[in-house]
Amino acid sequence: MSTEHLTMAQLVAVRDGDRSEPAFAEAHRHIGGCEQCRSELDRLHQRTARLRALTRLEPDTDQFPVVMARLAADRRHVRHRFAAIAGLAAAAALAITVVGADLVSPPSLDASEQLRTAISRSQLLEQTLHEYNPEQRVVDGRTIELIIQLEDRIAAVDARLQEVAHLERGKRLQTEVALWQERVGLMSALVDVHLSRATNVDL
Amino acid sequence: MDAMSLPDTDAVVARAKRGDPLALEALYRAYSSQVYNLARRICRTTEDAEDVLQETFYEVCRSIRNYRGDGSIWGWIRTVASSKALMRLRRNKYRDTDQLNDELAPARSASPALRMDLETAMSRLSDTARAVVWLHDVEGYTHEEIANQMGRTVSFSKSQLARAHARLRTWLGEEVLT
Repeated sequence: MSTEHLTMAQLVAVRDGDRSEPAFAEAHRHIGGCEQCRSELDRLHQRTARLRALTRLEPDTDQFPVVMARLAADRRHVRHRFAAIAGLAAAAALAITVVGADLVSPPSLDASEQLRTAISRSQLLEQTLHEYNPEQRVVDGRTIELIIQLEDRIAAVDARLQEVAHLERGKRLQTEVALWQERVGLMSALVDVHLSRATNVDL
Repeated sequence: MDAMSLPDTDAVVARAKRGDPLALEALYRAYSSQVYNLARRICRTTEDAEDVLQETFYEVCRSIRNYRGDGSIWGWIRTVASSKALMRLRRNKYRDTDQLNDELAPARSASPALRMDLETAMSRLSDTARAVVWLHDVEGYTHEEIANQMGRTVSFSKSQLARAHARLRTWLGEEVLT
């Protein structure tokens, strides 16, 4: 039997029956013949029992109404997003018809095509996200922060798309193409974040 | 630590999965106390613990459709809660060293009046050590599960536990109760 007393790591291993610890068997044998280490093991058991017996701490406030309010706000946010994107796409389609018809130069016709493509891609990404149903998924804190940043930037693009109606027609098409393409990039990133996110909760 | 039993748990969970607000509230009423206690034992402030409570049930309500019923509902909720509490620690990064050096703490032979109580001693452990002690010794998580939740190794979790107990042993100046 070793004459050296056990370390706390060895005592914890003996308490937990952790046979993966090196020298577990030797530590176990040592306990049998060493009163001091047996006393330390007893202290460890008693400390653990005292930890488990600590008074249960109770919350001061009822968080359930807040949780339900947040869920309701989420649902409103999703409805608002879909309504907003549908309105913007309809307005842009009208712009393509009106502005595109007035312009005869190839670059402008190309811009109309670019606008149609960007709107179509944006709608496809929205649909992908909708089918993934992110509201029902678990995400970690960092992912949530990234999602919020992307959603804020998309909301900012949507706000700018609402404003382009006031621009003169030639400039409006170019601005809309740029904004819709930016929206596609942000939506693409948002879908990537949702689909590839790493959850640290084993669900 | 056992959770309060929820009468007819399976039926409540099934209704909660369909989005029934009364069933979601029943889950909250049954488990919020345990979730808060776990959060409060890991986090430093009541405000953080209440945020963790809110975040946990927000996530539970959003994700309960994904609960497959492989383990108990309390086990699932507790995993969400511990994950949120550890996330809160990482975000706040309060401090990750023990507040008191051994020489500043009461010696092993100090008189009973000078010894710390267990609550105080736990609060003076580093955030990581305190979380490991609570999750392992009280909640019953394995070192593998703790390592996974913390994004660290098993040996890290084991060494944190042993180091924490060594400090508690010194600070508490325990005598064996017979």
